[in-house]
Amino acid sequence: MPFQTLTRSAFFVALAPALALAQEHGAEPKPGLLTSDGGLMFWSLIVFIALFFILSKFAFGPITQAVRAREDALTQAIEDARKDREAAAKLLADHQARIEAARDEAQKVIVEGRATAEAMKASMLDDTHKQQQDLLDRARRDIDAERVVAIAELRREAVGLAIAAAGRVIEHNLDDAQNRKLVEQYLATIQ
Amino acid sequence: MKSRHALIALGLVAMMAAVVVSPARAQEPVATPSPVASEAQGAANAGPMQAAEAEAKKDFVMPHVLNSHEIVIPWLGHGLEKEIELPRWAPIHVGPLTLDLSPTRHVVMLLLSAAIGALVLVVAGRGAEKARREGRPTKGFAGAIEATILYLRNDIILPNVGHHGEKYVPFCLTAFFMILFANLLGLVPYMATATGNIAVTSTLAGIAFIAIEVAGMRALGKRYVNTIVYWPHDLPLAVKAPITFIMTPVEILSKFTKPFALAMRLFANMTAGHIAVLSLLGMIFTFAQLLNYSPAAYGAAVIPVALTTVIMCLEVFVAFLQAFIFMLLTAVFIGQIRESAH
Repeated sequence: MPFQTLTRSAFFVALAPALALAQEHGAEPKPGLLTSDGGLMFWSLIVFIALFFILSKFAFGPITQAVRAREDALTQAIEDARKDREAAAKLLADHQARIEAARDEAQKVIVEGRATAEAMKASMLDDTHKQQQDLLDRARRDIDAERVVAIAELRREAVGLAIAAAGRVIEHNLDDAQNRKLVEQYLATIQ
Repeated sequence: MKSRHALIALGLVAMMAAVVVSPARAQEPVATPSPVASEAQGAANAGPMQAAEAEAKKDFVMPHVLNSHEIVIPWLGHGLEKEIELPRWAPIHVGPLTLDLSPTRHVVMLLLSAAIGALVLVVAGRGAEKARREGRPTKGFAGAIEATILYLRNDIILPNVGHHGEKYVPFCLTAFFMILFANLLGLVPYMATATGNIAVTSTLAGIAFIAIEVAGMRALGKRYVNTIVYWPHDLPLAVKAPITFIMTPVEILSKFTKPFALAMRLFANMTAGHIAVLSLLGMIFTFAQLLNYSPAAYGAAVIPVALTTVIMCLEVFVAFLQAFIFMLLTAVFIGQIRESAH
């Protein structure tokens, strides 16, 4: 764009020395401070245009570009840093959540363990109770059975004793005349 | 990092100042006014009074400031300088115009300063490019130039030119560096100041004028006419007509006064500085005359030399300042005409 500007301007600037030269035509005037000099004007213009192109292309361009590249790199770095920070924050939050979860888990495990232990204790107690009860029941049944046996034994013993006593009684009563008679009657039938 | 570059830039300036000032001082009593000095010494043998008369008629200030067909180079001979006659070419005729393109002293200085400027900036540009390719910040000299360009671009040109003013940056920077190097070259002994010639400054101002007007045309389109013909929209026709009649010449005039002021400012500043330096140096010979060329005259020369040193330091500052002002005002004028759309 500035190149266009310059090409346009060249035409106008060319007019300036023209005006200056119009006066200078003819004999060489004695130079003073304000003497115009068409040649020098021409050279100034050439030098300016040449400098403009050379500097734009080889100095201002690369320098501006370098600065822009650096600015971009800086912006990129800042952006990257921001992203990294965000990622780190996210990661940190994640880790914290994970730690929290782990702690909850641990708590749960402890609670569960406690509950399990509690349950185990209860069930063991129950079992013990039951076993005790069983033992008791069995003992009771055994005792009952033994008692029945003992009662039967006692009864048998008592029957024996009673029979023995009865035998004694009977044996004692055998002299009785009635009994003699009975036996004699019995013996009489046999014959 | 930026501050470091600024420091380097400052160091460069100081170095330039040192380089420019010290040989200038060394050369003062001999080189610049040598024709006068040698004549005066020659005449001194004949008698102080005649010498004074001969000296009074010799003008060594204006030939130094004005353009000529000779350049002066350092020479280990009489007067420590040698004049070289530049070739004279036949004038070129373009239609009714006659253009004498023979290289004069100021043409040579202009080309030399442009060559130095181009060299310095292109080297800096390559440095910046190399740094970019290597993906590191620009360092050293290229960094200093980069900091300067960046400062001018971001803090001076772009804010003044206005929105989307990037395409005017190379133009303003070129004007700045061309003027700067021409100004600085003029401070180097044996050299001359091309920007102390009204032809050079008016050409630069002409280019600035074209740039300003073209920027106006591009920004305003058809409304560019309003920058020439004053036409207030919010007034009744009866008021508008006379105002337009009065204001239009003023508008047109103001278009030309701006570049005219640019040209005159630069030319006058550069010329005035050199005349001041040369006048102070002339005091050496005035003292010598007053003291009848006694050894005391050499002692008295210390005062003008000291003053010249101070003025030379100021001149280095002015060299930067004037280049900066030219660029700044061009940017401001471009911004003004673009802004007038709103």
